[in-house]
Amino acid sequence: MTTALRGSLVFVAAVALGGWQQAPDPRAQVRALTDAGRLDEAERLARGGGAGLAESLGEVLVVRGRLAEADSVLRVAIGRDAVGGRSAEAALAELALRRGDRVEALRRAGALTSAYELRKTRWSSDDLVAVGRAYVVLGTRSASAVKQALTAFDAAVAANAENLEARLRAGELLLEKYNAPDAKVSFEEVLKRVPEHPRALLGLARVAQFEGKPDPMPLLQRSLTANSSLADAQVMLSRLHLEAEQYDSARIDARRALEVDSSSLPAWSLIGAAARMTGDSAEYNRALAAARRLNSMPADFYAELADAFVRQRRYAEGMRLARVALAVDSTSARVLGLLGNNELRAGNIEEGRGLLERAFVIDPFNLWHKNTLDMLDNLRAFSTIDRGHFRIVSPAKEADLLTTYLAPLLAEAYDSLASRYHYQPSGLVRLELYRQHADFSVRTVGLSGLGALGVSFGPVLIMDAPSARPRGEFNWGAVAWHELAHTFTLGLSENRAPRWLSEGLSVLEERRARSAWGADVTVEFLAAYTGGRLRPVSQLNEGFVRPRFENEVILSYYEASLVCEMIEAQKGADALVGMLTAYRDGFDTPAVFARVLGAKPKEFDQHFDTWLRAKFAGPLRAILPSDGKSAPGGAFVSAMSAGIALIEQKQLDSARAVLLRAQALFPEYSGQGAPAIFLAQLASDRGDLGEALAQVQRVTTRNETAWDANLLEAGLRERLGDSLGARAPLERLLWISPYDIPLHVRIAELAVRAGDRVLEVRERRAVVALDPPDPLDAHYQLARALARSGDVAGARKELLRVLEQAPAFEKAQILLLELSNRIAPGAKP
Amino acid sequence: MIRRALLIAIALCTSVPDVGRAQQVHVLVVTGLSGEPQYRAPFLQAAAMLADSARKRWGVADSSLIVLGEDPAADPAHITGRSTRAEVAQAFLRLSRRVAPGDVLLVFLNGHGAGERALSRVNLPGPDPTAADYATWLSGFARQTVVFVNAASGSGDFVPVIAGKGRVVVTATKTGIERNESIFARPFVRGLTGTEADADKDGRVSVFEAFDFARKEVARAYEADKKMLTEHAVLSDSVLARTVSFGEPRGGADPRIALLLAERQELEWKVAALRSQKAMTDSTLYERELERLLLLLAEKSQAIRAAERRP
Repeated sequence: MTTALRGSLVFVAAVALGGWQQAPDPRAQVRALTDAGRLDEAERLARGGGAGLAESLGEVLVVRGRLAEADSVLRVAIGRDAVGGRSAEAALAELALRRGDRVEALRRAGALTSAYELRKTRWSSDDLVAVGRAYVVLGTRSASAVKQALTAFDAAVAANAENLEARLRAGELLLEKYNAPDAKVSFEEVLKRVPEHPRALLGLARVAQFEGKPDPMPLLQRSLTANSSLADAQVMLSRLHLEAEQYDSARIDARRALEVDSSSLPAWSLIGAAARMTGDSAEYNRALAAARRLNSMPADFYAELADAFVRQRRYAEGMRLARVALAVDSTSARVLGLLGNNELRAGNIEEGRGLLERAFVIDPFNLWHKNTLDMLDNLRAFSTIDRGHFRIVSPAKEADLLTTYLAPLLAEAYDSLASRYHYQPSGLVRLELYRQHADFSVRTVGLSGLGALGVSFGPVLIMDAPSARPRGEFNWGAVAWHELAHTFTLGLSENRAPRWLSEGLSVLEERRARSAWGADVTVEFLAAYTGGRLRPVSQLNEGFVRPRFENEVILSYYEASLVCEMIEAQKGADALVGMLTAYRDGFDTPAVFARVLGAKPKEFDQHFDTWLRAKFAGPLRAILPSDGKSAPGGAFVSAMSAGIALIEQKQLDSARAVLLRAQALFPEYSGQGAPAIFLAQLASDRGDLGEALAQVQRVTTRNETAWDANLLEAGLRERLGDSLGARAPLERLLWISPYDIPLHVRIAELAVRAGDRVLEVRERRAVVALDPPDPLDAHYQLARALARSGDVAGARKELLRVLEQAPAFEKAQILLLELSNRIAPGAKP
Repeated sequence: MIRRALLIAIALCTSVPDVGRAQQVHVLVVTGLSGEPQYRAPFLQAAAMLADSARKRWGVADSSLIVLGEDPAADPAHITGRSTRAEVAQAFLRLSRRVAPGDVLLVFLNGHGAGERALSRVNLPGPDPTAADYATWLSGFARQTVVFVNAASGSGDFVPVIAGKGRVVVTATKTGIERNESIFARPFVRGLTGTEADADKDGRVSVFEAFDFARKEVARAYEADKKMLTEHAVLSDSVLARTVSFGEPRGGADPRIALLLAERQELEWKVAALRSQKAMTDSTLYERELERLLLLLAEKSQAIRAAERRP
């Protein structure tokens, strides 16, 4: 006996024992067999029960996708007023909705709920479930009906605490209406009674996905183990594979769903999506035809396709499909929301807002739409500044400051990327910055809690403003560069580049832009890689979309960048461009690898592995593989621990020797707790400024968020008499945080010494933009800088602004007199 | 000419206590128990900054400057006695004997406080005096302007107890319920003793300017730390607070300088009058007139500096 079968039997027994304390109920047995996926047995039992089990037979036939036959049988169940007549009525309403006959669906559901509302007594627990199902049908057009549905399911549970169907239906509805915590409770209640209930496990898998948990797959697999015929679980599996760009697997899963339920519209939709993404027009047309046969208004077919394309970052195609869906059904909240969100991703804010408002009227439970509409209200107060190829949208309070630095950086990035990728985006690239990470998250995914720092929708980039996170958590210049690189790589590939390639290129471009920017090698990465916890190149996409451990996404970014680095080193930069254009032309990954890299995916995996192990041969000898269950170990880690312990014991010479040994083991490491950080401080403390500088530069040139190290470098350079050399670390600090007024003043003063008037003015403007404690003095300092730069008119304007507020400000008066003496009499106002 | 003379007279009156009067400033700084080591240095630093400014910039005589602290040995250069209830009472008594009508008394309390209306207190070594005790001690300063600053946590309940005619009360918190550690003292002292808070750039910092500066800096610090603001400073009399200022003594007995100062004051009023008409004035004309007046002002200041032999 197989494990699965044994599980099913246990399950059936559990249901029978739990639900029916007395004589076995044949309806319950049919339901239990159905839930266990033993559909032949369920059908046989139902058919043998005659009219008394007509409703049960109808439900089995629905699960098997034989909808027409189910319809006939269910009508019999009603006509003869058999047991389960109310359930049959609800099932008929659902069937009508599935085939797009909304009038019939609402009529039947309305009749059932009216009867209930007229007289609420003498409704069994199963009848109450039927009423709840009818309310769910009505809920497609009425928000209040959704609440009544939940009330009915609750009443069904109150009438019979063992009514699993009521709990399952409640959980599914709660999740559909975005209440994952309560849905989870419902499913868990079912699992308390039947530990491996397939639909409850599927429900929990969907909850996990909803809540953004790393991987819902184990729950989904458990569900399918308990019932391999659960079509909805196969559909979810197919969707996950599609998201991971595993089109063949997605098709296989969807077909498995159809083998059970040939009328599953989501399964046909997923086959259609996979076919359309891979250019298989014949299969796409077959799927579309099937969808039309099932539903005269298959808006959900197009919506599923649109959603799938958006998940693949193919936003334009997603929008086209969402528009088709809207043309089919202009009252679908799902479709309105889908198109609305995509308009926002395209930067069409007002169009997106309008669509979302329409969606929200229909479905006021939708948290995404509500959050997004609230966020859009806040967006109205943002400042919009156009500079060159860019439209920078940022909080008004920070607009001047951020634009001062971003505009030239973006211009530099644009030129660099356009040259490398032989591509230019059409129109302005829109960059939005948010002071609240929650707003960024809502703007991106409709919910708070997104872990990313930035996101690119092609020509629309969204990112955290530097104020959104504590100083030192990220480098906002690097993030802007990274996201803009996506604009070019996605644009060139017409959004067909797989995620790993686009991300890898963006990280590589960060490193190219500034030596300190972009992810760098860490102990954690090497330990995870050699521990087999990271994916080979051919499966790297899954590291992004289906991470198996907390940091897998982060580490996959770096791995992807190494793949790109290797390709560029060995095949030349044009190979990367060639890969993007090959994806654009519709080739799949094996074909792209064959054409551009001359290797099969598995061969390439091996090639990369060899390259990486050679590149990090030294460190790999000093870092042990890690299974992720314990902290990484090895000679490097031991040496670092010993070095730090010696510092704590004040044995500084010994500490230095040990830390130098650690550094020799892993010279590339510049992250948190790197040997160079300690060695620089030790050298500085003993007055060896040259050594301190050499050490600290190992950090500042490789670590993009090293605030303290850059400050130390600037200070060391000044102490060594190289005050002009302090400019580089000070400028690096600006990309870690631009809010430190003393930093700007320091750069401005450095600029005065260097005679760099442009820099001085920039920094004085930055101080003004930061709304300093002494704003008039800041304006006065700006006036001085402008005067020094030769901009007498600008300086005088600033001074008048200052003296208008503070006529007695003597320093400003003196400068005003000085400027007035500089101006020729004829030019005086 | 009569009109002009009248203007100068008004100028002299409203400039009190800045111009032409031998008004004295008296300062009492009381620092309470630091409790934990991390509070000790900031408390000492605030007291030292106030004492240094009082002595070096505001011209406060040593006999009019009393600094009481938890441990006088911690900073003997500044702290003149222990901040016990008896010493504080004695300090008020001493100063009440030194003040003249029209003088300014600045009282600055710093430490950990607790609010309970009239029984509100700042923790000192030994028994703590209450807000009511301070009110009693201040009764000896009815003819002086009193600036009473309580920068301790939970200090808000001091306001109704101390406030009154001729008094400006500043507290770090709005109520006694705001008991978390307060950061108000540091920016307030920085504002009062430096130049950053001098919003009108007249070379002196009014109590209102120092308060406004500190309030904004507190808000900025909380925002930078992404914390909810848990202290809301209070100022009892913003009108009086604008007229009491601290800074370098001005003017002196030289009638030539007094006249120049008065003329400059007149120009400042003209600028103020022009600003009040800004919305109704053509912008080009406004700018032109503004610049003309500001240049005249600048020249007047230049003349004053020359007369004072300042650079």
